Amino acid sequence: MKAFSSMHPFVLMIYFLSVLITAMFINNPIIQFSALFGGIAFCGMLTTAKQKLSDIAFYIPLLILISITNPLFSHNGETPLFFMNGNAVTLEAIVYGVFIAVMVIGVMLWCKCYSLIMTSDKFLYLFGRVLPKPAIVMSTALRYIPMLKRQSAKVKKAQKAMGFYTSESYFDRLRFSLRVYSVLIGWSMENAVETAKAMNARGFKLKNHTSYSNYKFKTVDFLLLALNIALIIFVFWGVGSGAVAFSYYPQITHIDTSAFSLAVYSAYLILVFIPFFIEIQERIKWNCYRSKISALHTQRMKKEQ
Amino acid sequence: MKKILSYLIFLVCIPLAIALGMAVFGDRQYAFAAAAVAVLSCIPFFISFEKGENNTTRLVIIAVMVALSAIGRLVFYYVPGFKPVTAMVVITAIYFGAEAGFMTGALTALISNFFFGQGMWTPFQMLAWGLIGFAAGLLAKKLISSKVLLCTYGAVSGIAYSLILDLFGVIWADTYFNLSRYIAMVVSSAPFTILYAVSNVIFLLVLQKPLGKKIERVKDKYGI
Amino acid sequence: MFGESGCGKTTLLKLIKKEIAPYGELKGSIIYNNKPIDELPDKLSACEIGFVGQNPDGQIVTDKVWHELAFGLENMGESTNNIRRRVGEMASYFGIQNWYHRSTDSLSGGQKQLLNLASVMAMQPKLLLLDEPTSQLDPIAAADFIATLQKLNREFGLTILLVEHRLEEVFPIADKVIAMDSGKILACGSPVEVAKLLQKSKLSLSLPTAVRIWYGLGSKDVPPMTVRQGKDFLEKHYSQCAGRSVAVDKYSGAETVLEAKNVYFRYEKNLPDVLKNFNIAVTKGEIFSILGGNGTGKTTALNVLSGLDKPYKGSSNVFGKKISKYKGNSLYRNMVAMLPQNPIAVFVQSTVKEDFYELLKAMDVPKDSAEKKVNEVTEIFNIEHLLNKHPYDLSGGEQQKAALAKLMLTEPKIILLDEPTKGLDAFYKESFAHILRKIKDKGVTSIIVTHDVEFAAEVSDRCGLFFDGQIIALDTPNEFFCNNSFYTTAASRISRELFKNAVLCSQVIQLCSNEAGEECP
Repeated sequence: MKAFSSMHPFVLMIYFLSVLITAMFINNPIIQFSALFGGIAFCGMLTTAKQKLSDIAFYIPLLILISITNPLFSHNGETPLFFMNGNAVTLEAIVYGVFIAVMVIGVMLWCKCYSLIMTSDKFLYLFGRVLPKPAIVMSTALRYIPMLKRQSAKVKKAQKAMGFYTSESYFDRLRFSLRVYSVLIGWSMENAVETAKAMNARGFKLKNHTSYSNYKFKTVDFLLLALNIALIIFVFWGVGSGAVAFSYYPQITHIDTSAFSLAVYSAYLILVFIPFFIEIQERIKWNCYRSKISALHTQRMKKEQ
Repeated sequence: MKKILSYLIFLVCIPLAIALGMAVFGDRQYAFAAAAVAVLSCIPFFISFEKGENNTTRLVIIAVMVALSAIGRLVFYYVPGFKPVTAMVVITAIYFGAEAGFMTGALTALISNFFFGQGMWTPFQMLAWGLIGFAAGLLAKKLISSKVLLCTYGAVSGIAYSLILDLFGVIWADTYFNLSRYIAMVVSSAPFTILYAVSNVIFLLVLQKPLGKKIERVKDKYGI
Repeated sequence: MFGESGCGKTTLLKLIKKEIAPYGELKGSIIYNNKPIDELPDKLSACEIGFVGQNPDGQIVTDKVWHELAFGLENMGESTNNIRRRVGEMASYFGIQNWYHRSTDSLSGGQKQLLNLASVMAMQPKLLLLDEPTSQLDPIAAADFIATLQKLNREFGLTILLVEHRLEEVFPIADKVIAMDSGKILACGSPVEVAKLLQKSKLSLSLPTAVRIWYGLGSKDVPPMTVRQGKDFLEKHYSQCAGRSVAVDKYSGAETVLEAKNVYFRYEKNLPDVLKNFNIAVTKGEIFSILGGNGTGKTTALNVLSGLDKPYKGSSNVFGKKISKYKGNSLYRNMVAMLPQNPIAVFVQSTVKEDFYELLKAMDVPKDSAEKKVNEVTEIFNIEHLLNKHPYDLSGGEQQKAALAKLMLTEPKIILLDEPTKGLDAFYKESFAHILRKIKDKGVTSIIVTHDVEFAAEVSDRCGLFFDGQIIALDTPNEFFCNNSFYTTAASRISRELFKNAVLCSQVIQLCSNEAGEECP
């Protein structure tokens, strides 16, 4: 589970940007379906069985909803199938609906993977390189959030034990929450002053800050980055030259099957399956190690006997 | 030197990438441009914040405001759509200026999404909340003197926020402005939009005075 | 450096570090290394003079432990390699390596304070200023922290200036002690000299138990500082008095007002039980202390007794009625009140007075009787001068008093107190004990959860030891602390070889004197 996420944050960021931008803005069913399948494969590696089930329960209805509602909004297309309330429901509109649904869900899945992999400290590292001040504001905010969570539980209890939480009615709950929130605001303001002093005491006002991180750029990071850039340039070249151009309206065009187009599709397929391959490879490696270790173990046991 | 280089990357490479993207993405170029503009227009605000002289206490208070708005999404979890974010952003902007307002709005969007999930909506949320804060900072004097104006601002910004986010959704899905889809999206999200606008007004009414008092107190006591 | 709270010790300490110096008018000069501190270069002042304050949470700036350690070094503009080495060194020296990647909020109070110290030490200070660094810690974490300071001093010759009111451990190991009173230095010298000088002063109250016993016995010979020296002292001069004991009555309670029977509690389904077969029965007008280690669930026990947390098995009754049968907020009106560990959580308004009246308004008390009630509690608690202040402008002890006063407005019959002496100095503790007794005289029952053995020994009618989810030992303070060998008061540890059942300073002094009040021959 850790293989891909242990890559250097910069490499990860470039990777996610490449996939998300292409998945969001290229109008081509093969690209969209590749992105969707890559997203499913990667997400599958990152989530537990229970999460997978709830994802399926969420995305499948969404897929159906988006696809069937599209003809209501869009009456373009040359192939009417039937008429509803005087408007044509076209084949193109239905196909386009499926296509948008695939695109939306693919992008959402990739965003989910991004959220799971690009944790706040990785993001802050990148952010802090260019914009140290906003980065320290973010870091402090992230430090305050769990602290405020704890404090809000304490305040809730203290106020409840003074009888300020009288009934279960909606309005009372709201009033009580506002009360807790207001206490929280006062508390954090005072705390903020103390934190600011602690920062100054440790030389925050000095000029020429540096920014430290635990990350190191490894050979494997370089390799992945190079592969990523090579693939994405190739894909962009393909898109720019029109080799994968596709349109739904007024008529669904054919998918170009020239050698160059196929190469572009394969390049994209490789790109979106990189994390999946890395995770799989890592698992196989681990299983190998484990069986080797246990084999060694049994050998030794036999010898001792 | 290093910093100049990184600004250069921002100011030259990114517009270049957009131009390239517009050329490459054909059909979807408007959606791409919209997303790129959302990301890009945040950048000058961040840079000027980075460059500006900022008292440490101000920085921490902005951080605390961000944390408070993010935690607000949790404290009021049981009321969907009822979130204090806009109110907090507006109040911060009124007392600490437009720039602080922008930062609070943008960073709240960014940070709370670390907990609620990042998505393609993140840059738009950042820009929308950021601008709500920025404008409130510019109008600070008027907003602080008139409750009616403050409430109107809260309600309008709540509605505008939803309308703008839906707008991008439509352009992204249809590659052009599809009015019927837009209306459908606006109508289906109307209950939330209204609740959101109402909650903005309530939060502003309830929080502005006590929060203002608390801010003034800290300002006086510690001389910010 | 020590003194009554508000005597100016913290202000003096903060003036030494110019980045955090309080605003106001300053006369005279503070010299660091032959240079007035306001002439020190910024970088030098930031690095060479380190500061650790009392609130472990407030001083942490970033969200990750490693970043916190690196923060100061980043500000100094150190290179990544330098920072990596220094942070690594610090983490290893302070034993932080196991939680190096954790988020700062997940640490315990003691770990947080150690992190604050380590991140200041990473900047290689020559002078370390500490403002009551252990006041928010439990005794074990506090002792660890002090031991770390001692080690830093011994191994690196680091100069340490420590403001502290918990003097039992610190006083004997100091090279030099300064006693302050109303903005002036009252005494300054070696611990022994200062102990001798302070005999008649009210500051004597905050000195270690051994010193106070020595005062009480007419201060002959050299003052003992530690428990060991105290023992030697008693043995040398009072061995004739051996075998005496304090007369102890068995506790005979009146009617039971609060009771928990076979209570089980856990926070989540998959987490272990915090309370396991927890039983307690508290009688009317009693002061009942629950003692025990940190994080064992004492606070949870209080929350269950106050109806804030619901047990999944067992029942708790207040005045014979099940807690769950109290509807709405009826349990918290004229019945049960709870003083949380952090008393600031009680306040909402911008002055103490407004807070008082707001609560009374919520209780539908008419205006004229509200005024009467407020006057009544202000008198009992002696907090007239605090009424118009902002709750955050009060000192820890004042907050504690004002918060309890606010709770008393609900006229509770039972009051639950969570660590009420945390961070209080000896004087506040004494006045707090006084208040508790006053409330007791009115028939109010108090249940206290505390680490503070000295305080529990002084005020309690009964003490219980909380361990593994239940109360495992229960007795009157004298028997309780004399039967404990480790978890007991300093006075008991000093006198246990000679006397039976003596747990307080005053009891030891009394046993050393004969019935007529004269000393043993």
